[in-house]
Amino acid sequence: MRFSVVVLLVAMTSMALGGDITVKRLQGDVRVRHGVTEHWSAVAVGDVLRPNDSVKTGKGGSTVLELIREDSGTARAVTLPPEVIVDVSDMRTLTQEELMLKLTMEKVRSSSYQWKNDELRMPDAAVVHGQGSGSEEELNENDRATGRLQLNGARVLYENGFYSTCILRAMEVFRHYPWMAESFSDRLMVAEALAECDLRGEALAEYGAISRMEGLGEEERMLVRERMDAMK
Amino acid sequence: MLGLILITGRPDLCAQSLITARQIGLAAYGAEVRDSRGFSLNPAGLILMRDWDFTATTYGSPTLGRDGFVFHGLTFGKRFLENEAAAFQYSPGTSMRFVVPPTINIDPPNNPTSNDREIEYAEPFSIGVAHRFDEHFSVGLGARFRRETLTETTYEIIVGDTATFPSVSVEEVRATGWNVDASVLWRPSDLFSLGLTGRNLLTLAAGDTPDELSAYRLPKSAIGEISLATRATRTLLLAASAGTDQAGAVGGEWTPGYGIAIRGGLYFNAKESPTAYATGLGVGWSYEFLELGVAYLHFFDQTNRRGSSPAGEFDPSGIRNIDLNPYTSDRVTLTVKAIFGNIRERVALIESVAMLGSVYPSAYEVFAYRPIGTARVRNISSEPIHAKAAFYVDQYMDEPTESGPVTIQPGESVEIPLTAVFNERIRKVSTLTIKEGNVTINASPADPEDDRYQTPVLIQGRNAWDGDVLTLRYFVTPDDPDVIRYSRDVLLNHRDTLIQADRSLESFQKARILFDDLAEKLMYVNDPKQSADYVQYPTETLRLRGGDCDDLSVCFVSLLSSIGISTAFVDVVPPERPEESHIYLLFDTGVDPKFGSHVSPNPKRYVLRKNRRDIETVWIPVETTVVARGFEEAWTRGAQEYFDDVEIGLGTIKGWVRIVDIN
Repeated sequence: MRFSVVVLLVAMTSMALGGDITVKRLQGDVRVRHGVTEHWSAVAVGDVLRPNDSVKTGKGGSTVLELIREDSGTARAVTLPPEVIVDVSDMRTLTQEELMLKLTMEKVRSSSYQWKNDELRMPDAAVVHGQGSGSEEELNENDRATGRLQLNGARVLYENGFYSTCILRAMEVFRHYPWMAESFSDRLMVAEALAECDLRGEALAEYGAISRMEGLGEEERMLVRERMDAMK
Repeated sequence: MLGLILITGRPDLCAQSLITARQIGLAAYGAEVRDSRGFSLNPAGLILMRDWDFTATTYGSPTLGRDGFVFHGLTFGKRFLENEAAAFQYSPGTSMRFVVPPTINIDPPNNPTSNDREIEYAEPFSIGVAHRFDEHFSVGLGARFRRETLTETTYEIIVGDTATFPSVSVEEVRATGWNVDASVLWRPSDLFSLGLTGRNLLTLAAGDTPDELSAYRLPKSAIGEISLATRATRTLLLAASAGTDQAGAVGGEWTPGYGIAIRGGLYFNAKESPTAYATGLGVGWSYEFLELGVAYLHFFDQTNRRGSSPAGEFDPSGIRNIDLNPYTSDRVTLTVKAIFGNIRERVALIESVAMLGSVYPSAYEVFAYRPIGTARVRNISSEPIHAKAAFYVDQYMDEPTESGPVTIQPGESVEIPLTAVFNERIRKVSTLTIKEGNVTINASPADPEDDRYQTPVLIQGRNAWDGDVLTLRYFVTPDDPDVIRYSRDVLLNHRDTLIQADRSLESFQKARILFDDLAEKLMYVNDPKQSADYVQYPTETLRLRGGDCDDLSVCFVSLLSSIGISTAFVDVVPPERPEESHIYLLFDTGVDPKFGSHVSPNPKRYVLRKNRRDIETVWIPVETTVVARGFEEAWTRGAQEYFDDVEIGLGTIKGWVRIVDIN
């Protein structure tokens, strides 16, 4: 019986949205970045976005995108509020298996792990030793505002039910902007998205990690405890 | 007339050709003849000898009330080539002598006379030869020299006119000849053997039989015997035999290890008893080339077996076998067997060898760890063995590469992986070559090999590639002096640019400079064979100023590796379009992800992944097929492909995109 329930859940979460995405409404500053280019360009109502595009809304800007489900052909509207960056490719639902594999690969995406599974290692190449030739100036960290926009975009995904891509996007933002991983509300969003994806163990682990964060207030701790108790 | 027959041996009272302790202990020996011991029971078994074989036997008969042991006989055996063997037996102890009670005649008018009649049967010589048709089937031929002697001693009191005096006259008549036996031995496996022996199939008499001896001749009728032996368990041998003379035996041998063998058997003869009439018990111990055995043969009914027999007229018809007959007495037998010459016994056999593919010189190092083939090896001994397989290809290996020891139980076969440490010469093979691979198996510490097998080995040309991205990295040669020189020269020419660059972005800048330099010198060209199985080494690509995507990726990866930048191949095999499979690369900028915007403000242009120090850094995808358009375009194309393949297509988790680290 338990098995059949799990199968049903997987089937429900595997309904991907892979069809066309059209700009239906625009307000204020809304831009699009195509593919791997580095500049943002204007977008107009009626534009069809490609899966590798990203959409950014500025202060006071917003847009409504229409997603056509590839499987059923039905339309669905997603509203992007001000100050978000959303990758068009994230507006889809991964299966639970795909999400699990993605999460697992994040953990094992290590060269050292791959070497352990290899019989033969190439000799280390020659390395230039001694005084480096470049300047010693410290680089500036990634622009925090951009990180905030991306995390806001992850919340849009969460609110629109794209839990799996919300999780992956938020985790990637945390890697680019480690300070954002200290945000209680954003971490809580990730834990809840994991729970929504029925990844109970991962969700509990995330709640546990949140509860160990420094600087949490009593209300926040109690909230985490309630969520954890609800899952047990 | 009732009388008493004395049964005597020489020099004692009795003897049979029970010439080996193992034979006595096991009782049913026909299918277990495997050397010169008791070969006359089944000469075909001689083929199982190792080389020279020597046996000496002595025995004592405690029930006769006489102390000490007497010499029984010697056997010599020799195996010739692989399929022939011969043996000779000298057995002075294989004889029986019957003394018929004297007949006294005192009836007048004759003088009183007494006749002592002595009949002796002996088989002092035997020979045997064997031939093996294959490893399962062999035949044997044996001949026993039989001598039958009647000695009549007449004691007479001669009453003369002046004196009376005794007179003794001795008259001896003799019949000799060869009794010929034939046998076969079938061993379908090491666990089972079947022997068939026909005894007295042919009698070759030397001259006519004297009339006086006719009444005492032993039966010459042919006897057939079937014998079986099976290894019921790894340590237990069971044997049985039955003959047309209504005699048979069952026995067993337990070999618990340490060279020890414990034997027991029962003897049957329907003419003597409905149940077993005798038992044999024995112990054996072997070490290296020496084997000792002791056995005791006991008869349950001692009638006629203590050296004398109340009988009427002596009737030899019951003696069908000098070895074992109604007059044989209890005995203790000691046997020493020694092996000379090539005393090595083959204990392992190579049944088959399978090569797992051809050898690609570019990846020759992998065969030091990854099997190049397997050898199926069978343990043909009765003990567990520790076998090692060795593989050797002349010219391309300095010496055979030996596997680790593998334990094989008796009768079992195991696949042993073969590895090969090739030398540098294999990298010079330009085209497909076929060489002979020699596989040897060694299970005996002191001996060089137990078996040998030859198998063809396909060696591909030095530029051949099996299409597996895992092996593509063996074309990467960062330590090639030409590669190192090239990358150093290029960077030296751009020294000023590098000095101005931020140190954190140094690897990124170096890669950009190297690629842009290649862009000026190289161009993308198709594989000369229009296939994906030909890859150029970096020096060849630099010399030829071009290559396909594999060649260019290998070349750029080698240059980056030569200056310490980690790289990885991205192998893409689209599931719907496998013909569009493709390889591009990633290199590690060493930049922390939190500084990623300095590489590009668009995170889709780079990949976050851990390097071999387990630190997550920014990696750049590069598509080398657009080398002529420079680094920026190659990066853009690579990033686009990676995003489409991995992020949108989920290729890595679906298995059609593989990322293989190079260093």
